Order: sequence, then structure tokens, then C-alpha cells
Amino acid sequence: MNEEKEVEEHSKPLVLEKLEAAHADALLAQDESRGTVVVVVRKERVYAVLEYLKTDSELAYNYLVDVTAVDNSRMESELMRFDYARFMVVYQLYSYQGQCRVRVKVPVHENDLSIPSATGLWRGANWLERETYDMFGIHFEGHPDLRRILMPDDFEGHPLRKDYPLQGRGERERFNFDKQNA
Amino acid sequence: MGLDFGPSGEQDGNIITTTIDKVVNWGRKNSLWPMPFGTACCAIEMMATLASKFDLSRFGSEAIRFSPRQSDLLIVSGRISIKMMPVLKRIYDQMPDPKWVISMGACASCGGVFDTYTLIQGVDQFIPVDVYIPGCPPRPEDLIDAVLQVQEKISSGASPKGVEVIYE
Repeated sequence: MNEEKEVEEHSKPLVLEKLEAAHADALLAQDESRGTVVVVVRKERVYAVLEYLKTDSELAYNYLVDVTAVDNSRMESELMRFDYARFMVVYQLYSYQGQCRVRVKVPVHENDLSIPSATGLWRGANWLERETYDMFGIHFEGHPDLRRILMPDDFEGHPLRKDYPLQGRGERERFNFDKQNA
Repeated sequence: MGLDFGPSGEQDGNIITTTIDKVVNWGRKNSLWPMPFGTACCAIEMMATLASKFDLSRFGSEAIRFSPRQSDLLIVSGRISIKMMPVLKRIYDQMPDPKWVISMGACASCGGVFDTYTLIQGVDQFIPVDVYIPGCPPRPEDLIDAVLQVQEKISSGASPKGVEVIYE
């Protein structure tokens, strides 16, 4: 941990250098969180950036650790930073070769919830994107099977959104056994 | 068990009298076949109860059946989500009468600490429960105690919670 920090103080992480060279127009912001490089990427360019991170022979971020999202609707400071985009889709990548991580964040506006699917790059993105769809309602364009994964198929709403009540809208008291068994 | 000696009251005879109900209940009581429905940490305690240290077979309940059709005691141990509840209900419906239900632990009985949109706040809203076990999770002794309470209920001739009349 200490070694990593010293290196970072002296030189820019390789991933930032290479991204700035190859995809400067895609980067909205860059950050550092507990030793992990964080880049905020324009939605239109996210697939290209992810593909670059995965396929570049020096970076080789070949492992998609997680796809999730954040609802910033009650986080004024975050909203202001990125043109009042309500959601932030988050990709966590890991490089077996460089043994390091990078976090790619993508602001998504509520009036256009679509974002390109990463299933073409990592097959493992399938269920991760389904979960993000289930919980936040983000639509991953090009996903082969974008269904709910955790909640029942006939569930309404997306429960990890901040405006969804913690105790639900009465789903736990009333549901149709016959319909669900069918 | 309600056994009586013959009409003459003599003890040398080979005749004892009882009622069919009592004999049947005695058999049921001592050969409960549980259907485990373990969805969380309570299930770990249930496994401990069944294993050698606590040994539920001392009370005649060691024949765990993973088919509801062969069981007469449903042990609901763990959180039941709104997606799992129809499955649980279906399993309960598939068990032949008479059947008893133990709701094991805080989550199955009332939702426990999970007061959220996805968790059933007590399975007794949807299936009848005979014995509740408090605890998070309960100790194996608590589960044994619950089985003994079910046995007591059976031998007393009381109907299971979910069945109105079973003995003619």
C-alpha cells in the first residue's frame, strides 16, 4: 500500500496516461479513491473505453469485477458535478497482469436510462447488468436477456432507487400465489 | 398413553384397552418426519440439531425428508423473501395431512431485523404455524424444545393449526 502511494506521488498512473492519450475526449473527470484510479467517462464513449482498457496489451483489465449503479438524487454535490445526472453506473475492473484496479463511472440522466451493454466484452456482465437493471432501472442496450434477476418478474419499481420506500409499497403483505406459481 | 388394563381390572390378563386416536397419535408423535426449509443461518443450527452432538433422533425425528410428500413437520428456518414465499406455500400444500409447522427464529416468525420491502414479516401470514421459536438464531436446544412441544400437541389430540378437524 505504501509503496503504491509513493509511486503515484511521483508519476501518473499508467492507465490515466494512456487514457488521456487515447480517449481524452471521453474523460469527464479523474479521481483517486484509496489507491484506485477512478475515471468518469461520457456515456457515448463508455464501450470504447472499456474495450480499450480490456484489450490494450499494457493495461489488460481483463476481469470485470462488478457492475452497479449509484442513485445520486439526494447527493447534491455529486449531481452538480455532472450536469444533474441522477445515476452513476459504476464498472470495477481488475487487471491480472498489472494486479491493479480501475473504476469507471458513467453519469446517466433519468430521462435517458440507456447505456451500452458490456456483455460483448465480458460474458460475466450479463447477470451484473441484469441486477443493475433490476435495482435501478438502467437499460443496457444490446444485452441479450435483460430481465429482473433478484426481484419477482411481476415486481414493479426499482428498489435501490432513493425514492423507493424501504418497507416497500405493500408487496410483502399481498401477492398472488396462483399467479406466481403459474 | 392412556392404556388401561382389561375390564376386570386384573393385571394377569393379556388385554389392554385404549382408543384408536391415542395409539395413532402415539405413533405420529414419535415418528415425526421433518421437511427442512432452511434459507439462512437458522438452518445451520438445524443441521447441528440433527447431527450427532444434539441428535434429534433421540426424539424420533431424525428421518429428514427433502420431499414434502413424505413429511409431516415443516421447519421454516430462515428469512423468507417475497419470491420464496410462493415456493414455501406450495411445499406446505404438498405435505399430506396431518401436518405441523415450526417457525424457527426471528426472521421466519416476524421478519427479524429485516424490515424491508422484500422480506415476509412472519410466515404465519400465509401458512398456519404451530410452534414459534424465538432467537437469532435459536440454539439447537430450542429447536428440540419446539419438536417436543409439537409432540405434546400431537399426543394431547389437538388439531394442527392448519387443519380444522382431522379425527372423526
